[in-house]
Amino acid sequence: MATVAIDRRLLHNIDWGLMLGVLLLAGIGVATILSATAGGANAGLNVKQVWAILAGLAALLVCVSIDYRRLVDQSPWLYGLSMVALLYVLLFGPRIAGTRRWILIGPAQVQPSEFAKLVAALLVARVFAEVRKESLGLRDILGPGAAVGAMAVLIAAEPDLGTAFTLVPMFVAVAFLAGLRLKAVLAMALLMAGLGGLGWAFALKDYQKSRIYTFLDPSLDPKGAGYQKIQSQIAVGSGGVVGKGYKQGTQSQLGYLPARHTDFIFSVLAEENGFVGVAVVLGLYLFVLWRALETAQLARDRAGALLAAAVATLLTFQVVYNVAMVAGLVPVKGLPLPLMSYGGSSVLSSLLAVGLILNVRMRRFAN
Amino acid sequence: MKIYEDLRPLQRRLVVLQAVMVTLMVVLLGYFWHLQVLRGRHYRELAENNRLRALPIPAPRGAIFDRKGRILAENRSSFNVVVTTERRQDLVASLGRLDRLIDFDVSEVEERLGRKGPRFRSLVVKADANEEEVAVVEARRLEYPETSVDVVPLRAYPLGEGTAHVLGYVGEITDRQMESETFAAIEPGSVVGQAGIELEYNRALMGRDGMRRIIVNSRGLEVREEEKTSPTDGPYATLNLDLDLQKAVVEAMKGQAGSVVALDPRTGEVLAYYSAPAYDPNLFSSGIKPEDWSRLVKDPAKPLMNRPIQGGYAPGSTFKIVNALAALQERVITPATRFHCPGYLAIYNTLFRCHKPEGHGSVDLRRAISLSCNVYFYNVGVRLEIERLSRWAKAMGLSAPTGIDLPHEASGLFQDPEWKMRALKVRWYPSETVSVSIGQAMTVTPLQLARVAAVVASGGKLARPHLMRAIGGKAVPVDPPRDLGLRPEVVAAVREAMVSVVAEGTGQRAKLEGVAVAGKTGSAQVVSHARLEADRKARELQPHGWFMCFAPADNPRVAMAVLVEHGTAGGTSAAPVAGQVLARWFGVRAIGPGMQPPADTVPAPPVPQVARAAAPAESVPGPQR
Repeated sequence: MATVAIDRRLLHNIDWGLMLGVLLLAGIGVATILSATAGGANAGLNVKQVWAILAGLAALLVCVSIDYRRLVDQSPWLYGLSMVALLYVLLFGPRIAGTRRWILIGPAQVQPSEFAKLVAALLVARVFAEVRKESLGLRDILGPGAAVGAMAVLIAAEPDLGTAFTLVPMFVAVAFLAGLRLKAVLAMALLMAGLGGLGWAFALKDYQKSRIYTFLDPSLDPKGAGYQKIQSQIAVGSGGVVGKGYKQGTQSQLGYLPARHTDFIFSVLAEENGFVGVAVVLGLYLFVLWRALETAQLARDRAGALLAAAVATLLTFQVVYNVAMVAGLVPVKGLPLPLMSYGGSSVLSSLLAVGLILNVRMRRFAN
Repeated sequence: MKIYEDLRPLQRRLVVLQAVMVTLMVVLLGYFWHLQVLRGRHYRELAENNRLRALPIPAPRGAIFDRKGRILAENRSSFNVVVTTERRQDLVASLGRLDRLIDFDVSEVEERLGRKGPRFRSLVVKADANEEEVAVVEARRLEYPETSVDVVPLRAYPLGEGTAHVLGYVGEITDRQMESETFAAIEPGSVVGQAGIELEYNRALMGRDGMRRIIVNSRGLEVREEEKTSPTDGPYATLNLDLDLQKAVVEAMKGQAGSVVALDPRTGEVLAYYSAPAYDPNLFSSGIKPEDWSRLVKDPAKPLMNRPIQGGYAPGSTFKIVNALAALQERVITPATRFHCPGYLAIYNTLFRCHKPEGHGSVDLRRAISLSCNVYFYNVGVRLEIERLSRWAKAMGLSAPTGIDLPHEASGLFQDPEWKMRALKVRWYPSETVSVSIGQAMTVTPLQLARVAAVVASGGKLARPHLMRAIGGKAVPVDPPRDLGLRPEVVAAVREAMVSVVAEGTGQRAKLEGVAVAGKTGSAQVVSHARLEADRKARELQPHGWFMCFAPADNPRVAMAVLVEHGTAGGTSAAPVAGQVLARWFGVRAIGPGMQPPADTVPAPPVPQVARAAAPAESVPGPQR
């Protein structure tokens, strides 16, 4: 069994196609960040992004060198560590833009929730891998559900609803793969809806509610919460078929697009590169996500399959939600686009996620 | 080592996940097709609207000149401090910073901010800022890029109050005006005429605004200019007004309320037009301050009222001219017809008094007009009868707007049997005709009365008074005067009588050296005789003094109506004003009794108040006075 040093045979089994897709996306991301930040106060962030990608690739290398089964085995410890970090952020984290999401380590801001969601994937993979029943009922998912739920609550309290909500489809997908009865899936969906209603009534902050209201009718407040959605849609739509040209997007270059180098990076891409650029990038994402789910098909054991599926679902949800948000289809939530959005934690976490997929895939033959 | 795991159920379910993922991605791609390819043009337009701003460059309104090319209204450059930003919170912060630099009304600006829609381009914080404020703002151009100074043309009226009611004033178009036909297709924020000539000829005077298309960033700050079209000045306008005469009128009316209108009797050209008290139209040019506005509105002297066309006053004895013309024309009397005046006329069971209790004795037409004998004209009116009197009064332009080129003209009211039946559903009593004969129970505007003077002066022609002479150097067409068909001897007899009014009758204070003036005095009762008797000293109860005139009598160049509110008798209040104005116009001395020998530079002061109030109504001034 390979432990820390990488087996040369394993290296041979790394999915280079997947890696190529990931690197292309990250590269397009850097180029788009360069355009989105040109001439502004954020100029130069593309360089920081490159460093983050290099660091992420190093982390990926470390990740693939450790057998995923060891990682899955250690997941309870990692879970505990994550919960402590999340609690710490909640209690002692600096308040930035009204939220407590970050831990300051030297000059770097680290966002624990970005890593916690991967830990959650490891944890559910472990728990459901050990359940050996033909079909599962609601009672069987109570334990892992509570564990993931607790994590989601802590993240939601930061508040970071986007990331917290990411855990839900991941959990549902894994439970479904593990054999959860369809009736139970439906019941769970109902339960979620109920919890959502309660959350709306008690937990949501006013700015969150107003975001949802204005999502339903952006003209209610064109300069306020609906502003981002409207401006993003204008940017996307005005890109047309071939786009306005690199660094030529009026919406992005004149500052109409908010958070254009982070959550709305795809909007910049769509404006400047048009439908052609959108099709290329969505095609790349489709390829990467397809390879990730394929990994779940190819995995040699239940834990590997569930882990790959869990991570793939996390990525899929983030990509789909972010792109749908940019298109104005869903309410604006602070959810970065994996691999492309500017942000060290996001890049690191996305590449680690890829690392987990590669990890499972390269060990599909090993005994 | 792990035992064998059956992964097949899991793998079967994985297919569902794969299908969901692919479906979602395809749906997203489809939606981007919809946004970018199908609706691309729509969103491209929105993006253009986002980044492009069309800023109007206001065109200066056409300057206004008098008939000799002297300036009446012009434009001067003024500086507006403006804040340009798209986000409200930025704006509030900007206002706070500006508040420390220059003096302006923050609450008023915020109130205006609340009225505008969500999308504003720039907000004028301080209109017509002074040089010091401009310097302070310009010095901080780099620190506060959202604050800037705009140069805009501002309307200026050198004569101020002197031309307030004739020229009117300008102001930003109101929401109500935006909806009206008159102002159709005028951009919001435009400066338009709000009264007088400025309103009547608003469109003609407005130039074509220029336009700057600029690219702005999301904070609304200009990034660069895309294109620029220069504004076109409005064409200049020339009025019939004569600046010298207008100035003479303003001077002569100083300290008094009332109205003076002077016409060229041959054409109806308005030579002077003044309403007192007036307001300063310059106050409105950069937006009138609320306190100034409320002061104007609440002023009991009604400075906003345009008296020459909106004031309704009883013409009093000046109406005797209409009565005389009609009776002569209808051959009811001849110039030689005499009536005896014992100081009253007892008719229809009523005692109608003359203003001279002891009576004028036996008088002919000339003497009756000269001394303003009421009893003579009671007799004339009764013989002429109300129908014919009414017809001629209306033929001479009473009871209808004159059609002068000014907005909001009143028509005055001439009561006759037809009107009384229609409006009050009461029949006419013959005794009412007696009152009408001497100008009671009716209202006229000062402009209408000036027109009656012009009818006599022109030998029986009724002209439409008009102010506008030419726009952009092109003459404005006017209807030719209408001949009323009065026989020459009729007009001659009345003219002769009016000359004697000034020469030896009630209007001697309008007498000029070397120029024969024809005139007629009048006084318009404000309250009943009984009340006036009870409180003789109260000025607001005193009758208004009238004087209508034209000169020179044999070749009239100017016809005029002077009204002095609460001036008591026309002969002592209005006639001196006319004398002073005409003296200036003809460059001669006013030599009427009580008129100070005028030096060329020192205008004659108005007759002292006390003397006027003490003078009995319609009294004949002693020849030695």
